[in-house]
Amino acid sequence: MEAGSPFHRYLDSALESFGIEADETERAVMAGVWSIWEPGMTLLRDADLDRVEQEMNPDLGRPPAR
Amino acid sequence: MTALDLPLREQAAGIASGEIDAGELLDDCLARIEERNGDLNAIVATFPEESRKMLDEAPDGPLHGVPVIIKDEWALPWRAETVGAAAVPGVTTHPGESGPYRALRDAGAVIAGVGNMHELGSGSTGNMSVYGAAHNPWALDRCPGGSSSGPAAAVAGGLVSGAIGADGLGSIRYPAAYCGLTGLKPTFGRSAMEGHHIANTETIVSGPLCRDAADCRLLAAAMFREELSPGEALGLRIGVIRAPYWNDSTPGVREACDSALESLRAEVDGEVIEVEIPEQDLILPAAVLVAQAEEVAHLTAENLNALPEELSVLNRGVLKLRGVLPGSLTARGFRARAQARLNLSRLFDQIDLLAWPSVPAVAPPLADPTIELPSGMTSADAGNARQGVIANLTGVPGINAPVGLDGGLPVGLQLLAGWGRDALLLDAAEALERATDREFVELRPAAVA
Repeated sequence: MEAGSPFHRYLDSALESFGIEADETERAVMAGVWSIWEPGMTLLRDADLDRVEQEMNPDLGRPPAR
Repeated sequence: MTALDLPLREQAAGIASGEIDAGELLDDCLARIEERNGDLNAIVATFPEESRKMLDEAPDGPLHGVPVIIKDEWALPWRAETVGAAAVPGVTTHPGESGPYRALRDAGAVIAGVGNMHELGSGSTGNMSVYGAAHNPWALDRCPGGSSSGPAAAVAGGLVSGAIGADGLGSIRYPAAYCGLTGLKPTFGRSAMEGHHIANTETIVSGPLCRDAADCRLLAAAMFREELSPGEALGLRIGVIRAPYWNDSTPGVREACDSALESLRAEVDGEVIEVEIPEQDLILPAAVLVAQAEEVAHLTAENLNALPEELSVLNRGVLKLRGVLPGSLTARGFRARAQARLNLSRLFDQIDLLAWPSVPAVAPPLADPTIELPSGMTSADAGNARQGVIANLTGVPGINAPVGLDGGLPVGLQLLAGWGRDALLLDAAEALERATDREFVELRPAAVA
C-alpha cells in the first residue's frame, strides 16, 4: 500500500487526532493488516444492511426471534 | 504405555475403581511435562504443591483425580493469567477463582499446569507468545495452532489427556485441527467463563480439547455443569457450502474431508445437501469488528502509547489500528451479525449440520505461517479465520474432528450445529470415529508413539 493512499491519509489523521503514537514499523504493520482486511471491510461498508432488523438484547446462545 | 496415556474417561474410571492411583498419575504427568515440554513449550507454568492440594481436596466428581491443563486465559487462585503476553492493554489481571477453574475443581479434576497461547489470543497459529511459541508435536517446526496452542500441543504431545482452551474466533478448532485432536467450541454462554478479562465478550467461550469425542463430552459436561448424554445420530442432513470453504482448501485437506464426510453420511444414513448462506462474504469482516469491539474501550491513547516493547510489533500495530477503526464500520458489523444469525437459523431449519474443513491447509512452519491455497498464497490467519469465525459471530457450536493426514500432518473436519445442539456435534463426531474404525483419533505423532 503506497504512502498517500486513502488509507494512509485516514490513518495519519486518525492517529494524530486521537493522540496515538506509532513508529514506522507499527505503521507498516497497520498497512499490511489493513490490506488483508480491506476487501471485506469495503464489502461491509457498501452492503445494503438498512433492511436488516437489529436484535434487541440478543441472547447469542439461542437462535434469533423470527 | 502408562495410565497417563489412557483416555480421560478411562483415567477417571480407573481412579474411581481403585485400579489407578491418582497421586501416581499426577506424579507421572508432572514427570512427563518435565521430560517433553522442553521440545513442545506447551506448558508455561506448573505448580506441584497446588496441584497436589487440588488432588487432596478433590470431590468425588466425574473427573476425580484426573490431571488436565488450562489455557493461560483464566486466573487460578495462585496465579494470574497473562494471556500469553507481556501486557494486556488497559487490564491488570489478578489471581482468583475463574469460572473454568471452579468447574474443573468441582468436577474433581486436578490442574497440572497452564497451557501456552498465542499472544493476546490474536492469532490462529500459536507462533507468538511472550513465553516463545509452542511447537506442534507432529512436527516441531510447525505451528500448533492458536490461540489455544499450549492446550493442543499438551494433549497431542501426551502430557495430559484433556485440556481447556478458549475459542473467540476459532481458537479451539484451529489448534485441534493442526494437532489432530477433537476440540469443541460450545454454544455461546453455555460453558464456564466467569472471570475472563473480557467480561463483556459476545464471542469467546471455554471448551475442551481431547483426543476423541467421548473425552470432549466428559470435559465439556464439567464446563457446562450439565450432562451431555449421548444420542443416536441418525438420518442427519449435512449441509455443505463448497465455495469457498471446500473449494479453496488444499487438495490434501479437501480429499481427507470429502472422504470423512462420505463416511459420516453412510454411518448415520444421512444425506449431504449443497446449501448457501446469503451474504456470507460479510461474515468474516463482521466477526473481526464485533470481536474487536469487545476490547476497544481499553484502546485509549494512554494505553496504546504505553504498550511495552516486549509485546510483539504485530500486536502493537494491530491494537493501534483497532483503536482508530471507524465506529460506523463496527456498527455495520453488528447489523451484519443480526443478518447472519437470521440466515443461519433459517438454514438450520433445513439441515442438522454444516460441514467443511476446519482449516484450509495443514499446519504451516512456525517461521513462515503462510499457506498456499487454490486462490493463492495467504496468511494462515486469513485462511483459518474464513473457515471458523461464523460460529463465534452467531453463537452456534462447532467441533473439529481429526480425519486424516496430509504430508504427515493432521487434517480436521469442522461440523457446526444449531444453537444448543452441542451434544449432536459430539454424537456426530463419535459416529465419524465409528465409521473410520477410530483410525484418526488413535493416530499419534511419531515422537509420542
